[in-house]
Amino acid sequence: MNPREVAERLHENERKVLQALSGGGTATTEELSRLTRLARDAVEKASDWAATKGVVSFKEEVSQFFSLTDEGSVYADSGLPEQNLRKLLVHGPHEIAKLKQTFQNLNIALAWMRRNGWADIQNGVIQLTEEGKIVGDSSVEQVLRALNKPTPQSGEAFTEDEMTVLEQLVKRKLVTKQEETERSVAITDFGRQVLPELESAKSANVITQLTPEMLVNKSWREASFQRYDVTLPAPSLNPGKRHFISQVIDYIRRFWVELGFKEMKGEYLELSFWNFDALYQPQDHPARDLADTFYMKTPHSGHLPDSKMMEQVKETHENGWTTGSLGWRYSWDPEVAARNCLRTHTTSLSVNQIAKLTPDDLPAKFFSCGRVFRNETIDWNHLAEFYQTDGIVIGEGVTFRNMKGYLKAYMEGLGVEKFRFRPGYFPYTEMSMEAEVWIEERGEWMELFGAGMFRPEVVKPLIGIDVPVLAWGPGFDRLVMQSYKVNTIKELYTNDVGLLRRAKLWME
Amino acid sequence: MPVIEVNLEDFRELLGREVSIEELQDRLPMMGTSWEGVTEDGFHLEVFPNRPDLLSIEGLVRAYANWTGARTGLRRYPVEKSDYKVVVDKKTQEVRPWFVTAVVKNVEFDDPLIRSIIQMQEKLHVTHGRRRRKVAIGLHSLEPIEFPVTYTTKPPEFKFRPLGERFEKDLTWILGEMKTGKEYAWTVEGFKEYPMILDRKGMVLSMPPIINGEYTRIDELTTELFVDVTGTDLKAITEVLNVICVTLADRGAEIHEVHNHYPDGKVLTTPSLDPWVMELDNDYVNHTLGSEFTPKESARELEKMGHGTEVKGNVIKVKIPSYRADIMHPIDLVEDIAIGYDYDNFEPEIPPISSEAGEDPLEVFSRGLRNFLVGLGLLEVVTFMMSNRDKLFHRMSLPEEPICETDNPKMEAYDSLRNRLLPGLMEVLSTNKHHQYPQNLYEVDDVVVIDPSTETGARSRRRLAIALCHSSASFSEIKATMNTILENLELQAEVVEGGWDCFIEGRRFTAVLEGKPICWAGEVKPEVLERWDLEMPVAALEMDVNLLFKAHVG
Repeated sequence: MNPREVAERLHENERKVLQALSGGGTATTEELSRLTRLARDAVEKASDWAATKGVVSFKEEVSQFFSLTDEGSVYADSGLPEQNLRKLLVHGPHEIAKLKQTFQNLNIALAWMRRNGWADIQNGVIQLTEEGKIVGDSSVEQVLRALNKPTPQSGEAFTEDEMTVLEQLVKRKLVTKQEETERSVAITDFGRQVLPELESAKSANVITQLTPEMLVNKSWREASFQRYDVTLPAPSLNPGKRHFISQVIDYIRRFWVELGFKEMKGEYLELSFWNFDALYQPQDHPARDLADTFYMKTPHSGHLPDSKMMEQVKETHENGWTTGSLGWRYSWDPEVAARNCLRTHTTSLSVNQIAKLTPDDLPAKFFSCGRVFRNETIDWNHLAEFYQTDGIVIGEGVTFRNMKGYLKAYMEGLGVEKFRFRPGYFPYTEMSMEAEVWIEERGEWMELFGAGMFRPEVVKPLIGIDVPVLAWGPGFDRLVMQSYKVNTIKELYTNDVGLLRRAKLWME
Repeated sequence: MPVIEVNLEDFRELLGREVSIEELQDRLPMMGTSWEGVTEDGFHLEVFPNRPDLLSIEGLVRAYANWTGARTGLRRYPVEKSDYKVVVDKKTQEVRPWFVTAVVKNVEFDDPLIRSIIQMQEKLHVTHGRRRRKVAIGLHSLEPIEFPVTYTTKPPEFKFRPLGERFEKDLTWILGEMKTGKEYAWTVEGFKEYPMILDRKGMVLSMPPIINGEYTRIDELTTELFVDVTGTDLKAITEVLNVICVTLADRGAEIHEVHNHYPDGKVLTTPSLDPWVMELDNDYVNHTLGSEFTPKESARELEKMGHGTEVKGNVIKVKIPSYRADIMHPIDLVEDIAIGYDYDNFEPEIPPISSEAGEDPLEVFSRGLRNFLVGLGLLEVVTFMMSNRDKLFHRMSLPEEPICETDNPKMEAYDSLRNRLLPGLMEVLSTNKHHQYPQNLYEVDDVVVIDPSTETGARSRRRLAIALCHSSASFSEIKATMNTILENLELQAEVVEGGWDCFIEGRRFTAVLEGKPICWAGEVKPEVLERWDLEMPVAALEMDVNLLFKAHVG
């Protein structure tokens, strides 16, 4: 690039810096700030830009400054402990035991006297060595006194010997050292070639920022635009944005609706009846255990609806009722069913929904999407609450093959390539099924979610007739983790603002 | 669910053919188990709780040989007649009423069998036995026992020599001092007398479900066993006894019957290893699976699952083995057919069902709000619904009120359900101090409040909360935010002074719509910011989305 082009690309501030350097050729940023009447950081920024264009270069000078620590300033005033002790011993040996009571900082004094070879201790008595007798006021004290000033002292004021002493005092923590780097800016030879072009570039009236005034007074007509280096980096903005989990939930809702499903809603805090009993889980079933389920202290229990349906559920548990089943053969306790808990699956919504239907409403397809709760100790891979999306298809003639059909569509919708359905077990489904994905890196199948056809013992007591119901309850955290390259489930819910601002948009 | 350890050599020997770990890893899950990984000399496998018969390697191989077609159909397990007699004392009926037994002879206790039996017993206790309360198993050396055996109860001061102890101990000591006593004392809590099994001489076989007696200790020389199963549920203990007997029979043992005399005069002769019969309509099979199996084809799949079959027209008479505890409805046999045929072999198909579709209107409304708030430059967060009183009230300077609290939380930080969203936003701000400001956040989600008028006594409510956090966050900014939301919903609310105590007095308000509060807003008090460890001002609001929705749709 020739000097003229560079001149045109210079920002107003760069131009000012360059002109300020036209006289002396070198100046500190502080001096430049004075000369250009720009703030110091504006000068630094402008100098940086100018340097990338080769019109200025930097020189850096490091200067050292020394000042006393609190301990150092005490000694500067009242003398070093070892010197004070030495002065005392000039008058003759002393017993250490006695010194202990009268002499301040005795241990420090003793340590340094011994290190300097100034004194001997024998039988608890200390006396000066020959060397100790002849040392006078040392250079150490001169240095301490020189530093005993309100502002730090430049290293330039000290001799080479004194600098050695200073370094020792820094080690002894009586003195602190600060380094300051002063940057001065120098015009380069190329910069000098650019200098004469500045006038003509300036007279051409270069616009940095187009303003409403320029548009009103039409001054832009006589001006040219400063050329930018468009490849220079610019920062990103912090967007207003949906949480990525929330974006995925929107997608899953749309997915089910497009397949013709209607949304069902329900409560988080639920009767055990809806979470367990209506799903034909016997009351002593391990899944109802305290270890997995949050039961409520307040409100402790609810009211079972006094209905035919309730009686049918009871009968089915006890003896199979008219479902054709043997039942679990135990005595069903309404109080256990009335106990409140936090739903452990959104399948509670599915049975709630079935109980609201009449045979005239069939066939029907429903989905839900919501949080469920497990009584877990939270760590990186376990959460006490997470999302699930349940689906049911209810109607005469729906089959096991249909269930595979819907779940295949769901897996493909979420971008899973290799999957299979194997037998599983849930007390409330038969056939029961586990959907598994193939994890190539590990060379094994990973369980993703359960599905099945509700047992007649679940369906008939709720709706009054035996009709097939397909049901599934996938979580999707694992798939979101994979998609967002998040390694632990907890990271999905930490709400790290940085992560939320950066996380990719769910564009499906 | 129980996970068993399987030795591959034992598996091969019982199966009678070479089988690779790859084959098992691929196929066993399709038979209805879950592969848990390869071990040094075999593999781990999860067995579903409805199939206790698969908890022993003998049972697992039996099922695999059936399923892969090597040996299909019902296997008969004969039970020898005998006059072994057991008396059940009336006293047990109040505490642990059921007792079934068997005698097993010609047992060869080699290492694989011992491994298998111990594992099966342990897993049965945990799952089927509900940690021994519902079902407990005792295996005894038959040799020292003099019949009849009595199942009765004894007071706490009664003494016997428990397995592994050198001297006689009383029952209180056993429950309080021995490891197994302490572990299972809960199963007999509150009993005045404890269940006890003794022989004719008064020697103790067992104190179920706690510990056996030293008297009938089994060792490698034992060839004849007395098996007892006690519990609270006759169906469950019978299933367990059957599973144990067929497992031993698979190893060549002979099973002998025992006559259990109950106090009401009834005599239960156990074990009964005969199959029982259920009829299955082949139309029901095809109707449920979407298949077109002939009755014969269905029967063939059932035989692969170990059942005996007899086809009569369209009905299959299914002879179900005594060890299958899970069959209670014809649907269970349909599943067996599906597994026999292999889930993989069913062609997926979406049925042409047309039905009403759509989202819940409140969800549609909420999504509209969420997207609108993004337009205001706000960042959405999704926080936990579980919280605690410290976060909901104390840190917010809000007065305590009734909330939904759990009874058995594992973590104090998450023992209740939130009744407001705002504390969650404050928590997010407090954990993000290292990120750039402004941090203007929102959340639209549910809270749960006490409501005695509902089935449970609680009800969820949809809320919207916004927290504006930057160096000049102010009252006017948050009020303008509320106004913008209401305007865009074509709603007008009356603003009255006062509101939530987390906001600065004189800089807080409540907006009222049709006499009901729909928004609480203001500048957050500095003491609240301090409690959340924030050094940045916050102006915030919370709105009732249910009411907004209602007012909006009119």
